[in-house]
Amino acid sequence: MTSQLLAGIRAIDMTEVWAGPMGTSLLGDLGADVIRLESFPRPPAISRPLREGTAVPGDGPPYERAGSHHMANRNKRNIAVNIRDDAGAEVVRRLAAAVDVLIEGYSAGTIEGLGLGWERLHAINPRLVMISMPGWGVDGPYRGYATLGSGLDATLGHMAVRGYPGGPEDQVPVMYHTDATGAVGLVTAVVAGLLRREETGEGCFIDMSQAEAFAWQLPALQAEWTMHRRLPTRLGNADPHVVPHGCYRAAGGEAGAVAWVVIAAENDAQWAGVAHAAGHPEWAEPPHPWASVVGRLRSRAEIDAALAAFVGAGTAEEVAHAVAEAGGIAAPVIFHIGLMTSPQIAHRGWLQTVDHRYAGTQTLAGFLWQVDPDAPSWDLACGLVGEHNHEVLRELGYSTDEVAALLERGAIGDRYGQ
Amino acid sequence: MAQPFSGVRVVEVGGTVAVAGATKSLSDYGATVVAVECRAGSEVRRLGPFPDDVPHLDRGAFHLALNTGKRSVALDHTSASGLEVLGALAANSDLVVLHLPPGEARRVLGVVARLGDDGPTTVTLAVHGLDGPFAERDENDLSLFAWSNRMFRHSFDGQEPLRYSAQVATLQWASTATAVAASAIWGRRRDGVRRQIEVGGVEALAGNVDNWFVPWSFTGADTPRPAGLSRAVYPNGLLRATDGYVSFFAANEPFFSRLCRGIGHPEFATDPRFTDPAQKPAHFDEFMGYLREYLSTRTRNQVFLELQSHGVMVAPVLDVGESFEDAQAVARGSFVRVEQPGVGEHTLAGPPFRLDGAWSLTPAPALGEHTADVLSELGYSAQEQIALFRAGVTG
Repeated sequence: MTSQLLAGIRAIDMTEVWAGPMGTSLLGDLGADVIRLESFPRPPAISRPLREGTAVPGDGPPYERAGSHHMANRNKRNIAVNIRDDAGAEVVRRLAAAVDVLIEGYSAGTIEGLGLGWERLHAINPRLVMISMPGWGVDGPYRGYATLGSGLDATLGHMAVRGYPGGPEDQVPVMYHTDATGAVGLVTAVVAGLLRREETGEGCFIDMSQAEAFAWQLPALQAEWTMHRRLPTRLGNADPHVVPHGCYRAAGGEAGAVAWVVIAAENDAQWAGVAHAAGHPEWAEPPHPWASVVGRLRSRAEIDAALAAFVGAGTAEEVAHAVAEAGGIAAPVIFHIGLMTSPQIAHRGWLQTVDHRYAGTQTLAGFLWQVDPDAPSWDLACGLVGEHNHEVLRELGYSTDEVAALLERGAIGDRYGQ
Repeated sequence: MAQPFSGVRVVEVGGTVAVAGATKSLSDYGATVVAVECRAGSEVRRLGPFPDDVPHLDRGAFHLALNTGKRSVALDHTSASGLEVLGALAANSDLVVLHLPPGEARRVLGVVARLGDDGPTTVTLAVHGLDGPFAERDENDLSLFAWSNRMFRHSFDGQEPLRYSAQVATLQWASTATAVAASAIWGRRRDGVRRQIEVGGVEALAGNVDNWFVPWSFTGADTPRPAGLSRAVYPNGLLRATDGYVSFFAANEPFFSRLCRGIGHPEFATDPRFTDPAQKPAHFDEFMGYLREYLSTRTRNQVFLELQSHGVMVAPVLDVGESFEDAQAVARGSFVRVEQPGVGEHTLAGPPFRLDGAWSLTPAPALGEHTADVLSELGYSAQEQIALFRAGVTG
């Protein structure tokens, strides 16, 4: 059994793609009973492909094998409901009456158009905590606008500042950091809503703009503007006050044919570690000009060149290990095989082995936290479309015959493309 | 109505960006947070920018943003005397959140453990976790990001991997700790169980949203980094308008059809050159020619408003100055002003989620501003406080 921090809480997940599904999986990791309400009969545009193209190999229909889907839909039950059908909408209303929390991620205003807005649901269940999490919030001139995480990094000034010195903005791919931010922010918002309900005895509505949920992570960027009206320039991996603070190309190593290492020294002691590892302890001994913080700032280009030569002579793992052992900061820029082969990750038992009906047994990324005594566990693999229709509807008081009739009518479903 | 975390007593130890970020929302949504900081001023107070570029322990941007509403106690927690004070603080708290080198963390956790089942829940931040072969390594925001596999993916093939903006990775780790801390507060009220929680930085980042982990796991092959705009799945990515870039995500249906209508070529939505996956790559330049023609006469904002009216997922790439003037941010009041002693009026990000009366922003404390008040509340007499000060334990 997984962690029990949110045991007893029932939640409906009416979100798509990443931030909402991941956040509601985290609620499941924490012990909540999360029911994912899947779009039906139209499959979600991005996470449920009807063609093999973006599906991972395996048996069964491709929409059960979308890559991202597996990580962000664990520890939930799955029902597929046509909410535009009267009987389907009634299922959602009965569900809303029976749960503690409902989370929706449609474009602002859409849920009201479906007859499932806050006023309506609050009337059905006065103790419901409802969270709407559209990209830019529920009101304002962008109400109704559609976006993914990449649009939010764009309007907050984060995308504009990522890039190489002197280069244009489009030298980097668009980024989806706000999806991760929205996922964990959602958990905190749910708890805040539950605490409010505890105090007042009444449900409440939370407006979570995914842009605003991320904005607080940029204090340095924002302060340069608000304090000095200065626009930060694109610095690559450099830091204006720390040298070294960069990324250097290593010889091929375990992490791949091309490997990179980051090295940094926030103070003299860490610099001494870097210097020792590089075979030049004199770099950290006065009167060497690089021995001091200011000396290093004034020698940024020379130090970067010296470290590039040092790193280029070894593999990413060798170099990072040597620097870290000597007391400097260094890390190989890993990708997935780096996680899979990391002795630290192995020691922590972090990776999870998951069975799935169509995708088989796979190793997936682990949990975001360790909890003692009730450790999180991957109790439910990503649900199949409508896998728990019968179970959930029976809990709501529908008879077996009524569930069969809903299926027959197309108000609920358990497959796409029929 | 009270704030949601009103009445929750939190002790924060370590003074890092990560731990200050972890308790910020608890503080802004009502918890009483006592930040135990080293007397010389810890990491979160030493990071700029600073007003007028003058470094000051009470005026750094991260301190001003992350320590809002907290009480500051300056204390050497590494001494036996300091540890005793910390134990007294912990005994009067619901939650202890700490980020310290593993050895120091274990000492603090030992003190808390002696309080038994009635003691506070603990949330410990450690980049690699408290145990394992890498546990003792020094890391920073850059190396955390490198370890988490995000840095590699968020750059084009062949290019130097790139970090996010300063401390974004660290603050993502911090908000992961906030989420589980908040949940532990709730859980304890329900079941009374004291929990010990660890939030590893690498695990917090690598375990969250990841488009490539699952395909890797299933196929055993890493998805190559993109070399630039995809010629097979388009238009996704950054494209230039007259005054800067616009972020597009419009390759998938129903967005592609909407885009075609938006740029005045509804017929493209059913044209096999652009819709048949087998033909689409060969016609990339052709389609992009039409799209670039559309973009060549419009500003970022015109593109944004026009195409969003057709339901296309586009957004203007704004610089941070523009982000404050963005119509949506202005209309919603996404940024708020706080009167900060010694600084004056200072602008900060508003609530990460909105619940009536739940969130408030009050200034960040001066270093050690509340040492005397907190020690008095714990029952230390005036003479005992002088003794602690003279011995260099408090400040």
